[in-house]
Amino acid sequence: MPLIKIDDREIEVEKGITVLQAATAEGIEIPYYCYHPALSIVGSCRMCLVEIEGMPKLQVSCNTSIGELPPERKKDGKYDMIVRTQTEIVKRERENVLEFLLLNHPLDCPVCDQAGECFLQDYSYKYGRAHSRFLEEKRVRKNEYLGSNVIINHNRCIMCTRCVRFTREISGTNELFVQARGDNSKISIFEDKSLDNLLAGNVIDICPVGALLSTDYIHKNRFWNLEEKKSICTDCSVGCNILVYSQNNRIFRINARENHSVNGYFICDIGRYGFHRYEDAEKVTSPLIRSDGGFKPISWEGALKEIYEQFSRSKDGEKHQIVGIASPFHTNESLFMFGRLMDNIFKDKSIIGKLPFIEDYEIHFDSGFRISKDRSPNRQGLLDFCLNLEDEILQKVKTGKVRLCYALDDGVDRKLDEEWESFFKSQRFLVVQTYAMTPLAKLAHLILPGPSPMEREGTMTNDQGRIQWLKPSVSLTNKTRPDWEIIMEFMNTVGKRELKYSSVNEVNLEMGERFPSYRGMTFFKIGYQGLPKKNIATSRPSEGGQAGNTVT
Amino acid sequence: MNSVGDGQLTFQFSAAERVEQILSQYPDKRSATLPLLHLAQEQVGYLTSAAIETVAELVEVHPGEIMDTVSFYTMFYTKPKGRNHIQVCQTLSCSLNGADSLVDHISEKYKIAPGEVSQDGKISLVKVECLGSCDTAPVIRINDSYYEGMTVEKFDKIVESF
Amino acid sequence: MAVFKPILTRYIHRKDSHTLSGYKNVGGYKALEKMFKTMAPDEVIEEVKASNLRGRGGAGFPTGVKWGFIPKDSQKPTYLICNADEGEPGTFKDRLLLSKAPHMMLEGMIISSFAIDCHLAFIYIRGEFYQEYKVLEKAVEEAYAANFLGKDILGSGFDLDVVIHRGAGAYICGEEMGLIESLEGKRGWPRIKPPFPAVEGYLMCPTIVNNVETLACLPHILNRGADWFKSIGSEKGSGPKLYCISGRVNNPGVYEEPLGILLTDLIFKRGRGLIDGRELKAVFPGGSSSAILRADEIDGLQMDFDSLSAAKTMLGSAGVIVMDETVDMVSVCLNIARFYEHESCGQCTPCREGTTWLVKILNRIYQGKGSLNDIDMIFEITDNIGGLIDPEASGGSFGKTICPFGEAVAWPIRSFVEKFEEEFIAYVEKGVDVS
Repeated sequence: MPLIKIDDREIEVEKGITVLQAATAEGIEIPYYCYHPALSIVGSCRMCLVEIEGMPKLQVSCNTSIGELPPERKKDGKYDMIVRTQTEIVKRERENVLEFLLLNHPLDCPVCDQAGECFLQDYSYKYGRAHSRFLEEKRVRKNEYLGSNVIINHNRCIMCTRCVRFTREISGTNELFVQARGDNSKISIFEDKSLDNLLAGNVIDICPVGALLSTDYIHKNRFWNLEEKKSICTDCSVGCNILVYSQNNRIFRINARENHSVNGYFICDIGRYGFHRYEDAEKVTSPLIRSDGGFKPISWEGALKEIYEQFSRSKDGEKHQIVGIASPFHTNESLFMFGRLMDNIFKDKSIIGKLPFIEDYEIHFDSGFRISKDRSPNRQGLLDFCLNLEDEILQKVKTGKVRLCYALDDGVDRKLDEEWESFFKSQRFLVVQTYAMTPLAKLAHLILPGPSPMEREGTMTNDQGRIQWLKPSVSLTNKTRPDWEIIMEFMNTVGKRELKYSSVNEVNLEMGERFPSYRGMTFFKIGYQGLPKKNIATSRPSEGGQAGNTVT
Repeated sequence: MNSVGDGQLTFQFSAAERVEQILSQYPDKRSATLPLLHLAQEQVGYLTSAAIETVAELVEVHPGEIMDTVSFYTMFYTKPKGRNHIQVCQTLSCSLNGADSLVDHISEKYKIAPGEVSQDGKISLVKVECLGSCDTAPVIRINDSYYEGMTVEKFDKIVESF
Repeated sequence: MAVFKPILTRYIHRKDSHTLSGYKNVGGYKALEKMFKTMAPDEVIEEVKASNLRGRGGAGFPTGVKWGFIPKDSQKPTYLICNADEGEPGTFKDRLLLSKAPHMMLEGMIISSFAIDCHLAFIYIRGEFYQEYKVLEKAVEEAYAANFLGKDILGSGFDLDVVIHRGAGAYICGEEMGLIESLEGKRGWPRIKPPFPAVEGYLMCPTIVNNVETLACLPHILNRGADWFKSIGSEKGSGPKLYCISGRVNNPGVYEEPLGILLTDLIFKRGRGLIDGRELKAVFPGGSSSAILRADEIDGLQMDFDSLSAAKTMLGSAGVIVMDETVDMVSVCLNIARFYEHESCGQCTPCREGTTWLVKILNRIYQGKGSLNDIDMIFEITDNIGGLIDPEASGGSFGKTICPFGEAVAWPIRSFVEKFEEEFIAYVEKGVDVS
């Protein structure tokens, strides 16, 4: 392994990596604009110039790879390279490049969405000159709409071409290009062939300045007002890692979060803008009971009493069948609890099913980025925790029996066809746990208010078997309670249990005890990057016995 | 949006075998971009959007990438030029030898500023950079031919035939 | 001035010099026969290395050494590109060869291709050279018909195809990486090096880019040997060289002389002095990208790579542009700055932004609205685009852009202000309003 020296630090590095990579890994900041780890190297911004001993010219650190020197040619007798990032020449170079970049820049930070997270701002402050020496008139161009919710403010653009390379190398759609040359260069689209791909929003994320803007977010808030939460996307089975930005419990935008085992650096626009459909939905934030053709709020005590009345007592000596409808939109912890309720409390009386999976086209990009055809986040978890899942539940429910149904709602994406609608209508008592007044909720006798996807917490298992933590981006409102907790109360009510988990973490621990492939998948263990599910076969664990003793 | 101003919605190469020959010369399709653009421009006089899309299809890239290329080079035009496209070199040797007064003369004569096309579409005038004929400065290029050692008188004589 | 018998341009005044028969009549394609009969590719490379031939396009890199960079174990095809994208202001020598001695260049291309094991070569000719393109097209046709190109050339078993590729108006495509991108059908944005074209060039395959004049030297080297070639000129640079003289001289044109001829001889003997017997004021020795020389700096100055770089300028393309005493240096400086602004590809920050800034400032000075501070800013900006001419002496740095365009802007512009500062000051102080 080459041994190099960057400033006064000795570092052993992997052969072939670049100076910029080595420095970044070591926490030494070398400023840059055009470089992006997912994109080809162009070396055009000239911001990352460093001094390298023995080279007459300054070198761009993004394109200088580190090799091994023969022993007799080592620098200072032992180094394969000596790099200086803090010399006067380097500092002056950075000043100069920044000066050039700011010549025509409007310096309109007060009205710029990027302010507060702008590399032009940050680097200018850190490495730039305090005053401008440019006395000429600035070049002014009008903003243009590029397509897919993206507008460009040409005046702020620094021509790093990250966005162009993105459409050529990552989305593979090639819509963006550089028009003209020299000082006239600008990012452009051809005629009516606008930016039109499901990864388009990423160009906003990777734009290091405030040039590419989202029409969805423009002028809506200031970066410093926003709270940043790390979470995962729930719009398909890939489970992309995201950053959710909110203020006062309102989400303003979602950005990609780096995870090389899942989504790399990017997310798709379905996930980026998908949160709006929760805003648009009619929220359910209190238990509701059907009354006079509508619903009226009741207390949780009232709701649980109703559940007890309906599910625990055998009316008129009729035989009950309890129909459980599980949902791939819910966390593993909730599904684990739901499985326990059905399998261990209602036992033979119960049948557990699900609505048809919500599917769409599977979309593959040449760069490897993927949008799963499975547009639910946790099909795998559903299969793992609801072991006796009936695929054809419509056919399997027994006629002539009184049917009581407890359904975890899929949420706002769920549509019901006639067959399912009449199925739910035929239930004597239908409890729907949901966050919105969905078509399914509207059929309920009793609605239990659970969290929306942005409020949920727990683990999800993506279609590659990777377990990741879904963290709440906004907090629960009003009488809404976590899904696992509602199911726990359900169990306590109808099964005379005294479960008292105080947090999802305790449920997660218990889940791990009973399902070894999920053992130890605590947040502390898997963190924000997740871990693959353990490859251990699972059989049906029983309620009450020693943990794990029924597991083969 | 770029401004490719034209009313021609379709384009087809008239010399199909020449297109084939050009494509066959290169190890990859995209390398044929410049010669195909030249060919298209010869045919129509400038590059229409439809021509750009046709070339894009032939070399199998997005039309935006062809526009990227087109917009880089000064010899590709996305707007009609005059039937006689006068290019006056304005770089040093030509400038030292009177290129500026040539431009003024042509501007005056046809009532067009550099970059414009005359009303009747006969003449267009552009100032260009070094044409690589500095020993015979000042030099102009009309369509594809050089006219060297230019003077106002010589110019007037040449254009009599237009 | 010793009498030197031209080598490359000896027969170009003949009417048929551009035809195959014309070329063959004066010994053309003999080198090829000799090479196929007696030499292995490595021997050709060694011969060219020994000849001390340095690239005639501007950078002056040793040609044989460049060829030697082709990886020996590459599984990919190798390409040769003849750089006929002549565009350096003050340079028109390749145009002469293209129109008058195309076969000499083609023979050179075949030699080069044989040496580097290339079977598909390109001639990238600037788009404006349409007539030259037509001449070349004919020459290539003739060469195919005579089996100097195509399959099994002269029964040697060596195959070579040559494709003529027209540029479309972009100075930067004369830079080899910009040229390669352009040949690939893209905008001519020079690619960052490494990798160098000899390793990953056209279509990411090993590629050699040689200038027209460089290639035209090759048949002569093979015919008459490396030692003969080396004996022409001086240690600082061997071989014949085509010098271009233009501007305010009586007899502008292309002159073939050994490397190392005195600049004064070129101007006053070959160029027959200045028009109207005026005084010399300044001269570009190697195209507009070279730092300008004042009249008092050229005595005894030899026109070769090393002598000119010692004089803090360069031989470049050997495009000598002569300015007389009446020439306004501020307006010339603006003319040159505007050229570079127009031709900057726009990829690197310093060049894209800096060239425009320079033009804006120079325009202001030219309009009598400048200040002394503007003059200082020109120094600063040129340093920031291209670095100082002599980085060691001034503790500065250079190589601030991907390609040498940065230096090509900075050095001449800086040299104007440095060497004719009084004219700039006069503009500023008197508020001269030329318009």
